[in-house]
Amino acid sequence: MSDLALAMSRAAPDYNEAVVKKFVIATVFWAVVAFLLGVYIATELAWPQFNLGLSFINFGRLRPVHTSAAIFAFGGSALLGTSFYVVQRTCRTRLFGGEALANFVFWGYQFFIVMAALSYVMGYSQSQEYAEPEWHLDLWLTIVWVAYAVIFIGTLMQREEPHIYVANWFYLAFILTIAVLHIGNNLAIPISVYSAKSYSVASGVQNAMIQWWYGHNAVGFFLTAGFLGMMYYFIPKAANRPVYSYRLSVVHFWSLVFMYIWAGPHHLHWTALPDWTQTLGMAFSVMLWMPSWGGMINGLMTLSGAWDKLRTDPGLRFSVTAVGFYGMSTFEGPVMSIRDVNALSHYTDWTIGHVHSGALGWVAFITFGAIYYLVPVLWKRAGLYSTRLASWHYWIATLGIVFYISSMWVAGIMQGLMWRAYDTFGFLQYSFAESVVAVHPYYVIRLIGGLMFLTGALIMVYNLVQTVQSRTTEREVALPAGVAVAGE
Amino acid sequence: MDIEPSDLIVGLLMAALGLIGLILASGALDDEMYVFGLSLFSFACVFVLGLVRRHFDKLEAARAASNRHV
Repeated sequence: MSDLALAMSRAAPDYNEAVVKKFVIATVFWAVVAFLLGVYIATELAWPQFNLGLSFINFGRLRPVHTSAAIFAFGGSALLGTSFYVVQRTCRTRLFGGEALANFVFWGYQFFIVMAALSYVMGYSQSQEYAEPEWHLDLWLTIVWVAYAVIFIGTLMQREEPHIYVANWFYLAFILTIAVLHIGNNLAIPISVYSAKSYSVASGVQNAMIQWWYGHNAVGFFLTAGFLGMMYYFIPKAANRPVYSYRLSVVHFWSLVFMYIWAGPHHLHWTALPDWTQTLGMAFSVMLWMPSWGGMINGLMTLSGAWDKLRTDPGLRFSVTAVGFYGMSTFEGPVMSIRDVNALSHYTDWTIGHVHSGALGWVAFITFGAIYYLVPVLWKRAGLYSTRLASWHYWIATLGIVFYISSMWVAGIMQGLMWRAYDTFGFLQYSFAESVVAVHPYYVIRLIGGLMFLTGALIMVYNLVQTVQSRTTEREVALPAGVAVAGE
Repeated sequence: MDIEPSDLIVGLLMAALGLIGLILASGALDDEMYVFGLSLFSFACVFVLGLVRRHFDKLEAARAASNRHV
């Protein structure tokens, strides 16, 4: 019997889909929470009265709740869930470690998210961007992450397929690097084992460097490598085409993971960080263009011969648009990392626009594509309840992103120009307050963009709930002839 | 029906973590540690109860299946 015939004759293993379903539900739930919080804090920025004089909902405390909900809760749940789905399917084996360990990873991760959010609103924070949780929560996440790594690596090791598919390489890089980054950046000494307060072992510019080594690689390995794993599995599946170039995907992987890790210093241009370190970060950031665009081309070209599917499959449209946004934000990032461009862009809303073109356009869209693919498959439905509603979601969300990022570009460049403007006597031409007044209309436009993105997500929730519950999406089961006769 | 090794290991781990949560809450010097400790203890209790429930659900399902064959 040939290998192909042997593979075809093997029955599908009893995959652990229950944990994937839980992660899918969590992803959708946290998406709405993250977008809602984003809309609320955008309202606070436009009209500060919305802080309501309450400490626990002021911008400073809710902002990390929004970023953590978007990155770790929404993005993290999507990554963990899809990685469990992909590794089982591509290794043709059930998850390693049993149901209890997988459930521990799911519930332990959700517990981390809720406790971290609670600690932020109570006013506890390490004050390090994307690494706000205090030491006890960091330790808890480490335990959960080790369990996650054990499941993923264990599943790879007991695989029934000889080859490790490239999506798993990206997921593995995400898991291992995030572990190293998380531990490295959170080395801290608590003032007491019974107190939440701790101090980082590094201080001054070393602390800043370690923080942005972590921060940038959280973008590189959490928000990029992990989601590229998603891209390399779900786009070929939805398009029903093989990856355009498997060789390019391997080159993409190794060049991306090698280069990303050096790019962190570009967050510290014009600071006390030595010039040579800043230049190193800038050079590697510019070099990152190549692997990023190699990956984008690979994702887009996978559609060769299947472009017509974009008309009929809104899920695939989300995924492909996500790859477009990936290309755009990985072009913009290196531009902003150039020291002279950074002199204008740093500390302005341009950075916020850049981050959201990546977070909304790339991360959220590639996730929506995967979710629209996964829900009918996992819940054994014939298809989505409404492709028209998914289309509405797509267009409202895309327009929302356009409103968001274009308003932030204008606001950011204007801020940068106003802050550096001098009059003929050598005095600053504008006070800081004047730049705040100038950006107010753009903050309102940003809020409208966010509201549109949230509206799209709510349409998705309705569509997915109906997909699971509606009778119109039930699969037609062909009854054996004997049963049909008995029923007559 | 034997207890699955995964259930046993995770159950014991959760029991130990729940105990740590209780200890942290008992000596907490600030609100955050108090809330975290008690939440960890509650989380561990609910998780272990879930493991126990799932074990007996499986046992019952296996018994029902064997009765059907008879």
